[in-house]
Amino acid sequence: MDFSLNEEQRHWQAEARKFAADVLRPASVARDQIEGGFAPWDWDIIEAGSKLGFRTLAVPKDWGGPGADFVSQAIVMAELAKGDSAMSKAFSQNWKWSHLISVACSDDQKQRFLKPFLADHRYVMGRGITEPNSGSDNRMPPEDDPKAGYRLRAVKDGNEWVLNGEKCFIANGSVGSLFFVDARSNPDVNIKQGGTLFMVPKGTPGFRIGKVFNKRGWRFYQNAELIFENARLPQENVVGSVGTGSVKAGKGDTTGGDIFGDLELAANALGVCDDAVEMAMAYARSAKRAGKYLMEHQLVQLRIHEMHMLTEALRSYVLRTAWQHDAGEHSANAGFVMNYSTDLIQRVTRLNMQVHGAEGCMMNSRVDKLVRDAMVWTHLAGDTVQRVKILKRLK
Amino acid sequence: MFDLTLTPEQLEMRDTLRDFAQREMKAAAIHPDRLQPFEKPVMTDMLGKAAQLGIRTLALSEEAGGAGADNLTTCIVLEELASGEVDIATILGTTAALGRTLFDTLMSAEQKARYVKAFVDDDSYHLAFAGTTAEAGIGWTYHRDAYDEGMVAPSAVKQGNDWVINGRVEAVSNAPLAKLFAVQVRTDSKKTGMSGLSTFLIPRDTAGLKVQDTITAFGGPDNTLTRWHHGTVAAVELKGCKVPAANLLGKEGGCPFADGKLLARNAVAMAAVSLGVGRASYDAAVDYAKMRRQGGRNIMEHQAIGTKIADCTIKLELSRNMVWKAAWALDHPEAVADRSVSELPLHVIARVASAEAVHEVTLLAAECFGAMGVMRDMPLQKYVNDGFIFAHSEDTDGAAKLQIAESVAGYQRKLAA
Repeated sequence: MDFSLNEEQRHWQAEARKFAADVLRPASVARDQIEGGFAPWDWDIIEAGSKLGFRTLAVPKDWGGPGADFVSQAIVMAELAKGDSAMSKAFSQNWKWSHLISVACSDDQKQRFLKPFLADHRYVMGRGITEPNSGSDNRMPPEDDPKAGYRLRAVKDGNEWVLNGEKCFIANGSVGSLFFVDARSNPDVNIKQGGTLFMVPKGTPGFRIGKVFNKRGWRFYQNAELIFENARLPQENVVGSVGTGSVKAGKGDTTGGDIFGDLELAANALGVCDDAVEMAMAYARSAKRAGKYLMEHQLVQLRIHEMHMLTEALRSYVLRTAWQHDAGEHSANAGFVMNYSTDLIQRVTRLNMQVHGAEGCMMNSRVDKLVRDAMVWTHLAGDTVQRVKILKRLK
Repeated sequence: MFDLTLTPEQLEMRDTLRDFAQREMKAAAIHPDRLQPFEKPVMTDMLGKAAQLGIRTLALSEEAGGAGADNLTTCIVLEELASGEVDIATILGTTAALGRTLFDTLMSAEQKARYVKAFVDDDSYHLAFAGTTAEAGIGWTYHRDAYDEGMVAPSAVKQGNDWVINGRVEAVSNAPLAKLFAVQVRTDSKKTGMSGLSTFLIPRDTAGLKVQDTITAFGGPDNTLTRWHHGTVAAVELKGCKVPAANLLGKEGGCPFADGKLLARNAVAMAAVSLGVGRASYDAAVDYAKMRRQGGRNIMEHQAIGTKIADCTIKLELSRNMVWKAAWALDHPEAVADRSVSELPLHVIARVASAEAVHEVTLLAAECFGAMGVMRDMPLQKYVNDGFIFAHSEDTDGAAKLQIAESVAGYQRKLAA
């Protein structure tokens, strides 16, 4: 066994740590406190990170990207998340779709979409699966039920497809240049047989952005409605084949899929936990109650002990899973580590809140922000549907 | 005799308040325009309407012009009110509890004659206590007679028949609205801790008393602090504030609030307020689970959701049992005396247990809503935030909990260092 990082991994770690400390962290609380769904977003931060390679980190080297391995990706996500969890996610969201393009798209599609993605610091991507009435249904559809799952309709018209319907909560929705969108090319069979995955660039006629969601946590990160009213797409924008469902279309790498997507949330949570631990330690060593530093009170010692213990356990699980991915080994661990990270990020951010405590009628804003960001996990990475779904990966 | 029957009056008040909270308060309280911003000003018109229902003077004795409600009735009413809107319930609960304590317990007949009519007649007349108790931060000096040096009080110096007060009290609940303050000050500068303190009645319009700006969503340098409080709150500054000796509550150096017993009433009231928030989130989750279809059936029919709803039900039922028991025990000291209920600080147990339970209930309820649970135009995230404030406060966190252990151990704390 060998836990050491190689030179490239250490390079990315150092770069990400510096960028998080210099750019993300100083902007973090201020962006979080801006009212509204869209307003907390800041293109300058995306551009600055993009210039350092964080937007395109997962694009393979033969397509001109950094081609970082999974261990590097996990490390970078955690380091960036230590600066700001939502900003880290805004970068890594693009890695998912870079993975998908590399694995599942034709050379023509790569030319048309990967090239502009690499060239434009403001080119970000997202994936539209969820609809107002199809959330859990997509993740865990009842077997063979044609009524379950997304309903967005795709009808062939000559060499084009006409899309009608809407998606909601879509990542990077309000800022994306390209979306992968799941649609029903055949509504009479289940989504595995009647689902087709499309690439929808911004500016497609009949396609527009609706409401931008205003969230409790991850306020920098964008989620929006995508609205399709007779949106027309060429046949060439179909990923894989028609009517295979998105799993096959993505050659198994659906959400960046079991290979990346789940690891992403776990690695991000690790960064938040690291941040919480550091904050708690600094506070406990500087603030006093009843004449003693907090660190000298058993109440606080036990909290800080638990925070460290859980964070180190998560670090081991994240890096082990990333290592398994680099070794090409599929397992249920990506799912488990994501669910585990949900439990841990809740616990660790709340312990941090306990260590800081309410000061009269006030709470440290960043301590509160970490708790609010952590809540997103419960609704994304560790809900019961996700947990039940992971069981299907067990052999 | 163990009897959980509510009186016809209690049932009627519960129904009236439930109806008011659900039909009038809720729509305004959870309107997306109010939910989305960090800053949520007190809905003053709704506060006035609730006051007109008699909640402000609910616990004040009937002789004094109030409804004379006991602690249990007050808890039943406040839970309903808080299920409509937490800040209004907190403000009214604070005034109602202090009304009973100040007018019926602490004031002399002469003091009562001076202030009670205005209090009863004016629907916008609120009360505030500016001070601290020995219970605050007790865990930090667990099993030791030392005191948290953080405890400071304004100083009072006698000048003829007056006391001149200087100093500042941070984070006074109800201060932005209060027309009468009970302010704890140090009348004996040689003493420390909870010793050498006295409490004065100071009307808001007294020269030298200034209520500072109401604390808003963010504060501190570069907004590094977030408001962590229900109701409305501000600091109170006293500069050369001259108060007649006739406004002293009780005896000089008597410090009626010092041992915290008088504020047990407030503690159970706030526990009931927290229950109301838990109930609001729970009601929302149950309604949604019965309606939302995923996987071919209403999500209520999935075991995963059923388990969450069952957990929420258990936590709320257990908390309500504890809150009502603590309230009932305050109403029936004879039941403590004859050992029917224990001598433990039931109000602290109720406050801590309900805060922890409600915190968990709001999170579970929000989970039933999937991604909608984190959206700011939906009420679930607001309930979750309220739950965090309940669970992570100076009254409920790990340090507060240690006063229960001290009580179990029979530890007798000296009131001064």
